[in-house]
Amino acid sequence: MKRAHPGSPTAQPSALHLLHVGSMDARLIGLSIERHWTRSVRLVETLEDAQVVLIDCDRPGIEAALDQLAGHPRIGIVYYAFHPKDHAPRFQPRPVLGKPLNLESLPATLAQARADAAHVIAAAPPRPIAPPPAASAPAATPSAPAPLGHSLMTDDERDLCGGMDDIPATPGSPLPDKLFFNPDDYLIGRLQQALALASASGRPHLISGLPRLIGIEPRPVPVCITAFRENQLRPLAMTQLPESTGRIVSTPIIGEGDSPPLQRAAEDFLWNAAAWAARGRLPAGSDPYRPVRLRAWPNFTCAFASPHAMRIAALWTRTQASPVEIATRLGIPHRYVFSVYSAASFAGLLDTTAEHENAPAAPPSPPTPSDRPARPSILSRILRKLRDAV
Amino acid sequence: MRSERARHNKIIFSGTVGAGKSTAINALSDIATVSTEAVASDATARLKPTTTVAMDYGVLNLPGGEKVMLYGTPGQERFNFMWDILSEGGIGLVLLINNANPDPLQDLEGYLRAFRQFIASTAVTIGVTHMDSAPEPGLDAYRARLITLGLSPMPAIFRADARSRDDVATLVKALLYTLNPGLNDA
Repeated sequence: MKRAHPGSPTAQPSALHLLHVGSMDARLIGLSIERHWTRSVRLVETLEDAQVVLIDCDRPGIEAALDQLAGHPRIGIVYYAFHPKDHAPRFQPRPVLGKPLNLESLPATLAQARADAAHVIAAAPPRPIAPPPAASAPAATPSAPAPLGHSLMTDDERDLCGGMDDIPATPGSPLPDKLFFNPDDYLIGRLQQALALASASGRPHLISGLPRLIGIEPRPVPVCITAFRENQLRPLAMTQLPESTGRIVSTPIIGEGDSPPLQRAAEDFLWNAAAWAARGRLPAGSDPYRPVRLRAWPNFTCAFASPHAMRIAALWTRTQASPVEIATRLGIPHRYVFSVYSAASFAGLLDTTAEHENAPAAPPSPPTPSDRPARPSILSRILRKLRDAV
Repeated sequence: MRSERARHNKIIFSGTVGAGKSTAINALSDIATVSTEAVASDATARLKPTTTVAMDYGVLNLPGGEKVMLYGTPGQERFNFMWDILSEGGIGLVLLINNANPDPLQDLEGYLRAFRQFIASTAVTIGVTHMDSAPEPGLDAYRARLITLGLSPMPAIFRADARSRDDVATLVKALLYTLNPGLNDA
């Protein structure tokens, strides 16, 4: 993958204000600017200083953001959404990009939006006339109770698991390209290579070319060592890395000069990096209809638990089933199961060997209240107490 | 006739001496925990100055006034006659294993055997403590031992810091989902 070299209309970097953007996206974009775009984009804190703004159409409160822009016709606007086609009619002629953002081309898009806005003499306020598009969640009758997991997503859930619709329950239809991600484009691909090389050679291996140290020590149990802080790792893992970044090199020792580096079991580290890269997608080449199982629970005291991840682990460690089947049994959107599948596959916790003959009989469905009189209600209440307290 | 204890909702914490049972209950409990500790006079004294000789007791207060008792069993095996009494009617078992012990995998096996009947009718989750100072054996070694023991479904096993409310709550949440993956957490 080549680095983008946007054809900026001026020599000055575009002054970008993240007007209506989730915290995760803000960190991700900030990191990209810091690392790659210092000549083409600079972040500004206020709308008054901005030449171009970025707006996430899927975040609640977009109307208020648009109201703020009403008095600033010379500010360029770039929108982005999980379903850009749904929003394009509303915001045309301004661009609506798809999620996840293609960070290679974003600087050029920002520069173009800035240039277009500079030509506006007296534009109408950008507030749209058409009503906002209907929610892109799976169709459901308004009166029907929302199935578990289909309730309104929080910003974090969108950031971490995307907003992709379910795929067909049975194979046959072509699957959308956006269902899959290429791990080689992300940190997880580099980590996987480093782990394989470290395990095969018995020597520590580093990922070179990143702003801070990150590498794998084989030891008896492989460990990931990094000088990135926890809050930097997530945006780094979600960012597509240029092809030239992240060569794997052997090293006699990891950690010299960096103090004190963070150490994590490689299994936990790869789980997290994969879950953050996946954002509710599957690794390229995966079959969402193929039965698999989790050979063990992930270490959830360190491993990132996406929505419903513990329920998924509880069911998937006891039964062999496809990701789509697991989602169906639990009554949750497919993207949550795809997230766990992706994380488990890179953490080495996915058992893909066919065991149809030896597999224990799969439970038809998780126990329901009628299966265990009185018990589930108290379990649910304890769970709620723990969830609210932690 | 079931005892008064058996009519309460309760979660059992058990495990080896020094694994952090008292600490874990204290981390999760809504009340100051009640402990019956005494100065250790046997081999336990090498590991910690005091130890639980009867039980630890904490409470989770649920909305509506309902309570969930958190019972910690004594770690010393000479008190194992109490394990069955305390676990009677319990929701499930949180087993804590001190990874700094000489043979923690054998400890795991021993406790799973001791609670075999209770686990068969409920569920267990396992927290491995002190892995920062004693990283070996790793979680995969524990998983391999669990496979040889034939536990089904495979219990959740996590690294845990008994002082961390988050870690202890994660163990209990895994216990609840093991009992019923269909639980609504939305």
